[in-house]
Amino acid sequence: MQRSIAIGIVLTGILLLTTNTFADQSEHFKLDAIKKIPVLEQGRIKPLDTYVRNILLQFSGKTKYKQTPALEWMAKLLWTPEDVAQDKVFLINNPEVLLALGVLPDPHRRYSFSQLTKGFHQLHELARAAGQIPDKERSIVEKELLRVYDNLILYIDLTYCLRFSVPHADFVINEPGVYAKLQLPEDQKEFSFLDIVLKADLIKAMTDSLEKKNAEQWTLVEKDVFRLLTNLYQWSLQYRNMPFKIIPPSDQKREDLLSPWDAISDEFKTPAIREEISALNTLYYAFTHGRQEDFDRAGYGFVESVLARAKHFRSIKFLSLEIFYNQLKSFAWAQLFYILAMILFFVNLFKPNPKFGPISLALIIGGFLFHTFAVISRILIMGRPPVTNLYETFIFVAWVSVIFGILSEFINRRGLGILIASVCGFILLLIAGKFSTEGDTLRVMGAVLNSNFWLSTHVIAITTGYAGCCVAGVIGHIYLIQALVKPRDTQQLDMTYKFIMGAVGFGLMMSFLGTVLGGIWADQSWGRFWGWDPKENGALMIVLWCSIILHAKVSDLIGPLGVAVSSALGILVVAWAWFGVNLLSVGLHSYGFTSGVATNLIIFVIAELLFLMVTGFIITQRKLKWSFLS
Amino acid sequence: MNLRPDVRRRLLQIPIVQYFSSVKLAVLCLLMLLFLTLWGTIDQVNNGLYLAQQKFFYSWFILLYDVLPVPGAQLVMWVLFINLALVAILRFEYTWTKAGHLITHLGLMSFLVAAFVTFKLCEESYLTLREQETSNVSTAYHDWELSVWKESADTKNVTAYDARNFQFGKVLDFTEHGFSLIVKDYFSNCNAYASPSQDSSKRVSYINASGIKSLRKMTLQKEPEKNLPGGTFILKRAGVEDVLVLLYGGETKETPIKVGQETYFLSLRLKRSAMPFSIKLLDFRMEVHPATELARSYESEVEVQTPEMNRRTLISMNNPLRHKDYTFYQSSYSIDEQGRESSTLAVVKNSGRLLPYISCGLTFLGLLIHFGIMFLKFLKTKESIG
Repeated sequence: MQRSIAIGIVLTGILLLTTNTFADQSEHFKLDAIKKIPVLEQGRIKPLDTYVRNILLQFSGKTKYKQTPALEWMAKLLWTPEDVAQDKVFLINNPEVLLALGVLPDPHRRYSFSQLTKGFHQLHELARAAGQIPDKERSIVEKELLRVYDNLILYIDLTYCLRFSVPHADFVINEPGVYAKLQLPEDQKEFSFLDIVLKADLIKAMTDSLEKKNAEQWTLVEKDVFRLLTNLYQWSLQYRNMPFKIIPPSDQKREDLLSPWDAISDEFKTPAIREEISALNTLYYAFTHGRQEDFDRAGYGFVESVLARAKHFRSIKFLSLEIFYNQLKSFAWAQLFYILAMILFFVNLFKPNPKFGPISLALIIGGFLFHTFAVISRILIMGRPPVTNLYETFIFVAWVSVIFGILSEFINRRGLGILIASVCGFILLLIAGKFSTEGDTLRVMGAVLNSNFWLSTHVIAITTGYAGCCVAGVIGHIYLIQALVKPRDTQQLDMTYKFIMGAVGFGLMMSFLGTVLGGIWADQSWGRFWGWDPKENGALMIVLWCSIILHAKVSDLIGPLGVAVSSALGILVVAWAWFGVNLLSVGLHSYGFTSGVATNLIIFVIAELLFLMVTGFIITQRKLKWSFLS
Repeated sequence: MNLRPDVRRRLLQIPIVQYFSSVKLAVLCLLMLLFLTLWGTIDQVNNGLYLAQQKFFYSWFILLYDVLPVPGAQLVMWVLFINLALVAILRFEYTWTKAGHLITHLGLMSFLVAAFVTFKLCEESYLTLREQETSNVSTAYHDWELSVWKESADTKNVTAYDARNFQFGKVLDFTEHGFSLIVKDYFSNCNAYASPSQDSSKRVSYINASGIKSLRKMTLQKEPEKNLPGGTFILKRAGVEDVLVLLYGGETKETPIKVGQETYFLSLRLKRSAMPFSIKLLDFRMEVHPATELARSYESEVEVQTPEMNRRTLISMNNPLRHKDYTFYQSSYSIDEQGRESSTLAVVKNSGRLLPYISCGLTFLGLLIHFGIMFLKFLKTKESIG
């Protein structure tokens, strides 16, 4: 029976995630051929697979649109935008923004392009006004207005990115004589920008001679050709600096990629680039006509060509790894394994079974392997240490906490380590997930942070310190629950207390190391060791809090119960230092602010204080009663 | 420091020694520091970093509601230092197993010393240079001085008084030039007006090159760089009637005064410091991440010019130039309307620069030894229980 419970729990979880992981395949048209197209965005070359997920995430807070995978949705946006105009992909959190746009609120807070275009003029004006306000002084509504506006502009730009393949009224042939002159098929009236660009040499030869004639002397054919030339020129200007930079320039010294429009304007004479643009053209026709084989041939050919020309970029080597990383969803697997281990741990408490312990530990180790794979993949993809932004701090602190839990379990095989690893791993990855909804979590860094040495020393040390203190806090909670549930199991309580002290000591040591390394980094880059900046102060507060716990214990101001309560309170100090100070929006480290964090933080603080007061009170009252009776 | 046990015992019987060497006092100090750090952090939202630093971290006392004195971080750190010293002398066991403990506390003491030395000796300023420009004078960020120099064609010998201590009645003696100034009014932040004061009692005429006729005191700004000081001074010269001079930090002109046949110039300006060598900016370079406006690196190629030799070097983010007691950091840059680049270097003169490094190393080593020993002990206990 118990074995069935365990197997049931494990299988259900795995099944759920497996279904989700491999559901990224379109049922209609396979787009695998273009997944690996390198795209330059926000200073980083990434596979198209990542780019499209991030774009959809940026728009809607999700990496899928309903059951449509991001790549399929994006392919429609690029090639058949009319098919997605009604898709509700724009997440708008603030009702005041909706009011300004004249859009009725949707229970899912998501709106379609068609809905928003009605109020676009109004949005444009409001965004212009908000853009003139300094970033730090903008209200939440103004920030939201700008975010929605930027997303709409990006959406519109993306619909134009590959429009050079689409026949357009600007390239209609009005004079039959033009067909022969430009060697165009006579059964077609409307042509695309690319069709006409391909005839640029012929057009040039014709229009060069026009300079010697008066406009009145031009024939109708010449006038039509001149109109085509003028439209070509206007389109080239209009679509400069578009997003979707996927074509490597011929000059290998350049560090950027070109958008197809810029590649056509600037480098169309380069044979390889001409071939690549032609492949993009084929992709359009194959996609819109449902020709899978043509699509695959053009897609793989395009990818092969651009990768060969872009092989000097470091990130090109890791495109496949990144696609695998995206598809594997390692963090989701790790989270699943951690929560299963936690469930099994609690089942074991009520229906003890000697096999549940090892299974839980195996699940923790399984989750840890996925977690480790993801951390290492991110290091390889970016070529830098694992922590560079707020999202990554959660991933890393979770990872260190799980290591701490596993080691604790090997030292004391009574389930304490499983509980530490599963609680820390699951909750911190859950929080990380909330921070990942803002777009690409693999971002390039500003000049002052761009130092692998300090990122791998100061940042690692301070986040390891956070992990130590979080673990101490979690064990503090466990101690309090044990003291409530099994107050007479002094041996277990004593062991838990020792683990708290160990974690506090480790947290103190690493926080101190991280803080002083931060001071040294500050001394190296800003010329002062310490400046009382909010983030520095936050780190100092962790060091002070850990020191207070240890010294208060040494001087008998508090006993094991006090240590447990203080270490649990330490989580609040860590939360303040970690992301609470970012809410102040002052100082040199004020990055990674997310609106909504403040409310969650306040709720957490209140809940934590209530828990500590209630448990502390009950335990103390019970102790007093016992001492009175004895 | 390892006193005989009986001496320790006798000393510990003295109530004040007992109190100042107690671990409970250490806990109290740490709690107070925690509280001040939190308060000083939150205060930065309204009052900015500089004012919060002055109020909470560099002060002996903070006046709550302008009445109730609360210990400032400086006082708490001094008490903590005394506590650490007394604990080290009177309470520590000087055994190998306690070595980590002792080293950590010695490290912390040296940390507090380092903080004090830096607080007292560190001078921060900046140096902005256009490409191919050379200078040996750096400018303070927000410390002001009243400077005086004689009209001269060639060199400019400047005499200056630090304006931080200006208060009513302070005499600024320029004996070598034959005059003195007495501070009448001085405001750390004020506005200047071309019309006389509305208060008829203050309606007096001043000597001022920019035509300023009155000053109005303003509250201090969050960013100290935005404060513009100003003051009025009584000019005393031998054999001539006293006159009033008005100087303002926002002026672009210096005020000339006549002393005998000589003309002197007075100016209230950001404090300048001459360095014993010059820096020439050869080239400034900036790189951005592709397809973004986000800077990837800034660097200034400079030449350090000394009487003995000139040497070329590169200053970039996280890679400062150290020369004698000075350190130069890449701070910012600008491009003017003609497209000429200039680079701003932060200049820090700090004779005690290495002290925090030593303290950090010492404290961390102590923690490592202490918790290492504790962990081994824990493993041993566990084995014996097992």
